[in-house]
Amino acid sequence: MKQLLLLSTLLFFSLPADIFAQEPIILKGKELFGDMSARQIGPGLMSGRISDLEGHPTNNRIVYAGTAGGGVWKSSNGGSSFEPIFDDYIQSIGKVCVDPHDPDNTIYVGTGEIWTRNSTSIGDGLYKTNDGGQNWTKLPFEGSERISNIIVHPKDQNTLYVGELGALWGDSETRGVFKSTDGGQTWNKIFYVDQKTGCSDLIMDPNNPNILYASMWEFRRTGWSFNSGGENSGLFKSTDGGKTWNELRNGFPKGKLGRIAIAVAPSDSKIIYSVIESEDSDQNGLYKSTDSGANWKKLNGDFGLVVRPFYFSRIVVDPQNPDVLVKAGLFGSVSRDGGQTFKDAGFMHADIHDIHFDNKDSDRMYFATDGGVYRTWDGATTMDIVENIPVSQFYHITLDDAEPYNIYGGLQDNGSWWGPSSSPGGVEARDWNRVGYGDGFRVLKHSTKPILYSEMQGAENVWRYDIERNQQKTIQPLAVKGDPKLRFNWNAPITLSPNKPDRIYIGSQFLHMSDDMGDTWKIISKDLTTNNPKKQDQENSGGLSKDNSGAENHCTIFTIAESSLDENIIWVGTDDGNVQVTKNGGKSWSEVGKNMSGMPANTWCYHIEASVHDKGTAYAVFDGHTSNDKNPYTYKTTDYGKTWTSIITEDVQGFTRCIQEDLVNPDLLFLGTETGLYITVNGGNNWSKFTNNMPSTAVHHLEMHAKTNDIVMATHGRGVIILDDVSPLRELTQEVLAQDVYFFKSKPFTMVEESGFGGGSTELQFVGPNKNPNAAIVYYLKKRHIFGKMKIELFDESGNFVKELSAGKSKGINIVNWDYLMTSPKMAKGKTFTFGGFTAPRASAGKYKVVMTKGKVTYESELVIDYDKSSLLTAADRKRHKEVTKKLFDMSEDLAYQVYQMDEMIKMGTKLSSENAEAKPMLDKILPKLTELKESSVITTGDNYVGQAEPELREKLATLYAKVASGFVPPSPSEMDNLKLIEEQFNTIKNDLKAIKTGDWDKLMKMISKEGQASPKLMDKKAFLETTP
Amino acid sequence: MNQFKAYFLILALGLVSPMAFAQSADEIIEGYLEATGGRDAWSKVENIVISAKVNQGGMEIPLEIMQSKDGKSYTKVSVQGLSLMQGVYDGNTLWSTNFQTMKPEKATSEDLENHKKTLGDFPDSFLNYKKNGYTVEMVGKEAFDGTEAHKIKMTKKPLMVDGAEVENVEFYFFDVETMILLGSESEMKAGPMKGKTAQSKMSEYDEVDGLYFPFSMSQGEKGGFSQAIAIDKIELNKAYDEKMLMYPDAKAPTSAPSTAPTSAPTTAPTTAPSGGK
Repeated sequence: MKQLLLLSTLLFFSLPADIFAQEPIILKGKELFGDMSARQIGPGLMSGRISDLEGHPTNNRIVYAGTAGGGVWKSSNGGSSFEPIFDDYIQSIGKVCVDPHDPDNTIYVGTGEIWTRNSTSIGDGLYKTNDGGQNWTKLPFEGSERISNIIVHPKDQNTLYVGELGALWGDSETRGVFKSTDGGQTWNKIFYVDQKTGCSDLIMDPNNPNILYASMWEFRRTGWSFNSGGENSGLFKSTDGGKTWNELRNGFPKGKLGRIAIAVAPSDSKIIYSVIESEDSDQNGLYKSTDSGANWKKLNGDFGLVVRPFYFSRIVVDPQNPDVLVKAGLFGSVSRDGGQTFKDAGFMHADIHDIHFDNKDSDRMYFATDGGVYRTWDGATTMDIVENIPVSQFYHITLDDAEPYNIYGGLQDNGSWWGPSSSPGGVEARDWNRVGYGDGFRVLKHSTKPILYSEMQGAENVWRYDIERNQQKTIQPLAVKGDPKLRFNWNAPITLSPNKPDRIYIGSQFLHMSDDMGDTWKIISKDLTTNNPKKQDQENSGGLSKDNSGAENHCTIFTIAESSLDENIIWVGTDDGNVQVTKNGGKSWSEVGKNMSGMPANTWCYHIEASVHDKGTAYAVFDGHTSNDKNPYTYKTTDYGKTWTSIITEDVQGFTRCIQEDLVNPDLLFLGTETGLYITVNGGNNWSKFTNNMPSTAVHHLEMHAKTNDIVMATHGRGVIILDDVSPLRELTQEVLAQDVYFFKSKPFTMVEESGFGGGSTELQFVGPNKNPNAAIVYYLKKRHIFGKMKIELFDESGNFVKELSAGKSKGINIVNWDYLMTSPKMAKGKTFTFGGFTAPRASAGKYKVVMTKGKVTYESELVIDYDKSSLLTAADRKRHKEVTKKLFDMSEDLAYQVYQMDEMIKMGTKLSSENAEAKPMLDKILPKLTELKESSVITTGDNYVGQAEPELREKLATLYAKVASGFVPPSPSEMDNLKLIEEQFNTIKNDLKAIKTGDWDKLMKMISKEGQASPKLMDKKAFLETTP
Repeated sequence: MNQFKAYFLILALGLVSPMAFAQSADEIIEGYLEATGGRDAWSKVENIVISAKVNQGGMEIPLEIMQSKDGKSYTKVSVQGLSLMQGVYDGNTLWSTNFQTMKPEKATSEDLENHKKTLGDFPDSFLNYKKNGYTVEMVGKEAFDGTEAHKIKMTKKPLMVDGAEVENVEFYFFDVETMILLGSESEMKAGPMKGKTAQSKMSEYDEVDGLYFPFSMSQGEKGGFSQAIAIDKIELNKAYDEKMLMYPDAKAPTSAPSTAPTSAPTTAPTTAPSGGK
């Protein structure tokens, strides 16, 4: 204790030193943001791409799902529901591996998805947990981008093999097969082909750990092309634990090979299946070896087996039966005859990437799709989606000004949607509405009309949708005489004018503008891209298997921003690195990207934000990852692009995608990167990563809602994430940070007059939390409060105490909520509860004084609450509501006191009756009367459920009280009549008790007092009400 | 109602033990015990009786929590003048009052066995952790609630959940400046919130007979709902009525009924309980 006091003293003296320190106070992450917490609202109905599924060797309740952009999820109830266990790290997952030596605790996660579509994210290495996922350590496995498999040696926990696919967008020497013999602390590259060829799959013979199979794949993506296959692809085998490798080729097609899937039958490891992509598409398909890979025979070349090898190269064999196998694919293909023939798996979301068999019952399987995890109990005939994995991949997001506001956006392979930011009972699956098919991208709400615009896959369709009439029409610009071929990005930009409600822009290589909601289009620019013909050969993209989905379209406009301050100022950014600006509505354009120093040429301009504070100010965000450049780039100009300043610091990790300028404080900026959200309060001098309930997921777009000051993020892997009301951050200056306690300003809070029934989701469906509707007292603490009392009290304008609230004590920003409720009445004690008595009256609108007592120091602030402006109540209505509520509240407490007196009198009387023969006859008269009174005052029998007794006065009173107090309207005539009846009954009881007290009881007391006995004392009402409830 | 459920879930998790301090896990633990009154003083505690309040909606609910060196415990919840006993352990039986019938009901055999494994945690998990067969491990430094803290992993005796043995691990966070325990986290192993992380936070430390206790706690789901518990009074080595711990005959009327309620109707339904019957 002495030590403790000493420490406290030291702490005390350290405070002033901080204040006078010259160094600026820089708080990072949780130190700064304190109680500010992100709200993940899903949705869960369109889940997202699942890249990998793993089980547990003995416990079939445990299933892991690795996702393309939403981290790792674990189920411990046989796939009924899943929980995220990897939120603090990069969310793109290649492989999850459960250590067979310690399967409950030791798990490896290899990051970096291996299904290399254009929109895939990146990984950054290998992670390990020793406690089932509560804590993770990054292993020193440097240079890794995509891990295809991790294998723990079955006899030695410290021997690990890793298959590294490696970089997608450039050369890399971190590819091939790696081995560690010290639990992952050091690594040897034991099989390497070249800088272009990675290990796409690695398998160990379950019966002989010295036998390994590795499929090596030559592949490469650019912003405008994809290549699968080459001279160096092939299937290799080692029989000496990876020291030497030999190619397996006997029976495979000749020439170049592409991506190769492999699987060894666990129940007979001589049987190996392989799906081959080759130069001759007729030779593509499933090959089988029954002699451990020495010889191969083609069995099947069905569409389901050969479709899009880069996306679907996985085969999984039933652990019990070597003849049952499932191939990933567009629909998933199941064979029960050793691969001779296949049928499609049951109906589920398309694009299957992985399959996991329950190791105790092969009829139970799990499928990883582009739309979530599916379960089957009947061998993939009937499929059932897991409804609580909200890993949807939004590309973009917009908001409207409804209350609560709606969110609009499109998803990878899951269409376009809109849904509310809050909804009764939470944001449920059924709250979301579809507004488009395919891969969805940008969805925009007309600012004044019930019209939405949405788009799919390279403006293949741009819909204009009339919400009220449920009617859609496509409006994408069509070529007119003299136009060259229009090039639209896969994620083509559509933007509305902030100045003209009917104006809409779409970018191809040109900027298209319509002033009549898309019926008439005109081109208002030259080709704003570099128009490099070498980047426009998408017809031949794909490598050995042609893959011209439109996803590689390049030399296109990617971002458009009209200044809200001047409709003639328009900014355009292109995927090939141009930043163009016009100050005259498109008559002339200047390419100003060349004015940025340190910006590599032709880097994808992902987002331009035109400042709302100044016409000449804009922010340009660049994403270089498709050129294998993972550095963050964000620049600011204040002179229409003549000069630019980088606002990136070393704080920012991972490449950047989008920025949002605060609508009030120009120095407050929100930056979306591939690993999450960064915030600066000083114009970019330093950045802090926001991690409170915010996973390290890719933020593809973000918007600020002007009325609520919420930041709403389109994450590409964790759905919509909202940071509610960021306005406190506007006030964060060095002066504020130096104070011990600082109360942030707040707008008046509204007591919303709603009392609906809420949602209808089941236990296993994801429901996004609503915005907190309560009043909030927000303050900054320079240090965490550890010792001594700290409380927050509210007082009304007359200085009356209203309520004590539990104080937040975190270092940084604290948010203390008040639900506008006072304290519930003290109720009469009965045999059971009276539920109506749990209701507390609501506070009145007005100004409240907030007093924080922290040790011996007090701090004060103010809180204003308003009635709902949409309320129909008049001031007189409110007055009456308040008065009747108060009356019922007081009656409830009064009854509590009456019953207390009865209880005490019965208790005393019973005792006296047994001790005092003279008193007994009187008590024989009094006690039955008291008991009868008590029995008509409160329930004295039964229970709280179906054994409940008939309601007595307390119950009737409490029911009426709760009905009136919790309502938003003054009491109805019927309620007033009921009150009259209750009042009469109550008065009768009170009078009866009074009569007993002043009559027989008084005589009794006088009698015993004459005998020299002290008459028992009852508390007065005030004292009674002050005792604990 | 969810709030109420969450609260009792928290009670079921048990009181999180007090504080810690230093570089190796053991140094931190010793520092913590020293900073909060010293190993000797902690060893002399026979029982702890805590009077506290929780606030739900407008309802202020008093609690009395007792734990003793010989393993006995109870939590008495007072609602509308009625006492509901929760987590009562009389040395043989673990029981609680059912909220519907107001009668006592026994916890499952599994819960009882799990409870018995925690008896050595009194008065503080760290005091006799070696004797209890627990192990500790320094995880590193981490911000807890914005404050830099030493993070220590404690592995306790494994629990049985639905017939299977599961590891019982708790992570504790000690303020690097004062060695005081700021809070703890653990994975919930059972019930509908299984798999989520439970988090406790402690503050408002004050002295009671030479020992330091947190007078404010909040317990709940990390990043989700949490319930604040305000402690009014802590008494050490107080005489209490052992009879109230004895599992009563369920047929006899009892004003002290109980059981971890999974469906307790509470937090202010506006009229009667609205569930169908």
